[in-house]
Amino acid sequence: MNDSMSIPHLILNASGVVQFVMLLLIIASVLSWVVIFQRSFVLRRAKRAHKAFEDRFWSGIDLNELYRETPAEQETQGAEHVFRSGFREFNRLLPKTRNPQAILEGVQRSMRVAWSREEERLNLHLIFLATVASASPYIGLFGTVWGIMGSFQSLSMTQQATLATVAPWIAEALIATAMGLFAAIPAVIFYNRLSAASNKLLGKYEDFAEEFHSILHRNLQGRGDQDAA
Amino acid sequence: MARHDSRVGYGLPVALALALHVGVVVINVLEFPTSDEEPSSASVVKATLVSTETATDQAQRTEAARARAAEREAQEEAAAAERQRQQEAEQAAAEQRAQQAAEQEAARKAAEEARSQAEAEAQRRAEEAAAAEARRQQEEQARQEAEAQRQAQAEAERKQQEEARRQEAEAEAEAKRQEQARQKAKAEAEAKRQEEARQQAEAEAEAKRQEEARQQAEAEAERKRQEEARRQAEAEAERKRREEAAKRAAEAASNSLDSAIAGEEEAIANARQAEQASNSFQNLVRSAVEQAWIVPPNLSSGVEALVRLTLLPTGELVNTQLVQSSGDAAFDRSVLQAVERAAPFREMQDLPPAAQRRFRDFNLRFKPGDVR
Repeated sequence: MNDSMSIPHLILNASGVVQFVMLLLIIASVLSWVVIFQRSFVLRRAKRAHKAFEDRFWSGIDLNELYRETPAEQETQGAEHVFRSGFREFNRLLPKTRNPQAILEGVQRSMRVAWSREEERLNLHLIFLATVASASPYIGLFGTVWGIMGSFQSLSMTQQATLATVAPWIAEALIATAMGLFAAIPAVIFYNRLSAASNKLLGKYEDFAEEFHSILHRNLQGRGDQDAA
Repeated sequence: MARHDSRVGYGLPVALALALHVGVVVINVLEFPTSDEEPSSASVVKATLVSTETATDQAQRTEAARARAAEREAQEEAAAAERQRQQEAEQAAAEQRAQQAAEQEAARKAAEEARSQAEAEAQRRAEEAAAAEARRQQEEQARQEAEAQRQAQAEAERKQQEEARRQEAEAEAEAKRQEQARQKAKAEAEAKRQEEARQQAEAEAEAKRQEEARQQAEAEAERKRQEEARRQAEAEAERKRREEAAKRAAEAASNSLDSAIAGEEEAIANARQAEQASNSFQNLVRSAVEQAWIVPPNLSSGVEALVRLTLLPTGELVNTQLVQSSGDAAFDRSVLQAVERAAPFREMQDLPPAAQRRFRDFNLRFKPGDVR
């Protein structure tokens, strides 16, 4: 491979539009990798936190105690966040109404809100990854098309169209596509992986919310019976 | 959420992402995969020209190369000897010239000396003559005086008249005797002086001769020394030459294998050169044969045939011979037919004679490539 066909040389000799496209793709690639690393860390931590909280929750601890363990002003995450918002709503509604149906509805609503907040938190920036994954091949293709266009324009000036005159231009243009794929492939893979992980976690939160709801329902049912009796 | 994001910061992910990209770039720049694929032969048929040297031929060539090398060596040696001889002759000539010059110088010196001697002699003679003249004049004067005296005496005697005739005569005799004695003494002195001069001249001549002899002896000695030096140098050169020859002989004797290898290498180099020179012809023959070749269908893979072609200098085909059969009769036949069909290789006439000789007799290897 001679020097004029090395990749850095080709990049530096590309036309302005192609260079801009390459720059855009490099930035997209860097940002997508930032998102990939950040999301990976966040999801791993969330998974670990959820496991710890579930262990605590099912250890037979008193729910009031569990609720009081963390100060009210400290923001919590994951299933704990769902639990706290639900339990807070339950405690607030309990003295106000004697209708268990209304209490449960209020609890369920507040837990859904908390869950939705968690979903938003977990899926943060994953959309960016999806955008990079789907758009960067097209951006790269645009750079390639533009480069080949330029190569043919310059080819019309020359007397002889040998492979040697066309090859550097096309190689240069194709680098843009290569870069687009270089950005897109990890983005696609990690988007799928991370969104699957976050969905799984959100499903767990949902399961937990249902379980907590059923516990509260059982409590209210017992109290309703007592009231009736 | 803000708290969470502050907990899982963006610093580490950014650093990791940048490190990853820098790593990719560095790998790309440093060791981009150098893919130098073998240029696959586009032709379907691979008919390649194989070495035209046969085993016996090779031996002959080796022998020839060795003989050539020996000849060259001998030539070199002869040239060296010639050079040396020439040098010696030059030296001798120079010496002779020097000698001649010395001799001439000596002769010139001698002549000069002789001339100067002669001159001196002449001068001396002239001086002597002058001296003699002066003496003679003196004598004359003296005689005249004496005559006058005598006349006066005679006058006086005559005046005295016989008075002292005897005395006078006596005095005359006496005077005459005296005169004679003086003359004799004078002559004697003259003779003595002459003798002395002669002796001196003789001594001078002797000295000169001795000087000459010395010079000659010196010249002789010089010549002899030069001769000696020349002889020594010759002996030295001879010795060196002999040593060199001995060494060469020893080398040749001990490295006969090497020489054989060298000969072979030379032959290979020659063959390569000729190959380069006739590359176009080779390609032409190959393409012509390939075009004329109708490859039979249903070939088993890996069949290969070697055909020996004998050509005239005009490029006409004299003989084709199957050197190495493929084992497939149809394939062999197709190969021979292809050669015959392609046959008159007229371009042979355009080749240089050396390359022509090379292509008078050559082998073609037939190997169907990817048969399409």
